[in-house]
Amino acid sequence: MTGTAAPLSSHPRARAKPVFDWLFVLAVLGVLGVFVRVALFTPSELTQGDAQKIYYIHVPAALSAYLALIAGALMSMVYLWLHDERADRLAESAGEVAFVFTSAVLITGPLWGKPIWGAWWTWDARLSLTLFLWFVTASYLVLRSAVDEPSMRARYSAVLAVLAALLIPFIHLSVYLFRTLHPMPIVLKPERPSLPAEMLTTFTLSVLAFWFFCIVLTRARYRLAVLRDEAAEDT
Amino acid sequence: MTPDTSAYYYAAYVLASALYAGYVLSLWWRASRLRK
Repeated sequence: MTGTAAPLSSHPRARAKPVFDWLFVLAVLGVLGVFVRVALFTPSELTQGDAQKIYYIHVPAALSAYLALIAGALMSMVYLWLHDERADRLAESAGEVAFVFTSAVLITGPLWGKPIWGAWWTWDARLSLTLFLWFVTASYLVLRSAVDEPSMRARYSAVLAVLAALLIPFIHLSVYLFRTLHPMPIVLKPERPSLPAEMLTTFTLSVLAFWFFCIVLTRARYRLAVLRDEAAEDT
Repeated sequence: MTPDTSAYYYAAYVLASALYAGYVLSLWWRASRLRK
């Protein structure tokens, strides 16, 4: 009896879960909805003009990076404890997404700083620590691609992911600890938020939309990692 | 008087959108390569 090749549609990888699905569409619509609200239904700040609206993508991108970093660190600790490869895959996915959001912070920050401070960049604590965090997340991705042996790769990168997350409180508190041009928190502080109601609503919606987008991207990246590992097992 | 800083606002939103779109495209491209 001669064997026949399985049709392509029945191949495990062809039947694997799609990387993007309706949740992704919902997340993109959420972010686009925030952009429309910022453009049409949120007033400009009187002294900064429209540049202040960068706030609605700059801070949510930073908070999304923190979310991804914390998820990556937690999953890394789970991996170090249980040696479960799913935890390593999730940490890897969150690490890559954290890199993207940290990049967004570093792109939008100078575009806000230039018209307000008169400089694209200053070497103050908040900015320098954020740049350092970007290098750490980039190093995490380089480390993962540089080590071939899976358990060694997972162990080394798990330690780096936990260390990266330890930077978050220093970045958040840097404006209190050091003299800086960077503004103090106006929402995430012990007292009541000092934003007008319309702006606060837009900011809150933006944070929720970006967090959802961050989670959906991490999920998509996780599914890609599953596909990759299945392909590696086939070969 | 409120300064006209809209160019920075537009640039930030366009560049951030391009970054996210680029990342989504990279995920899609890597997934489609693996499925082939």
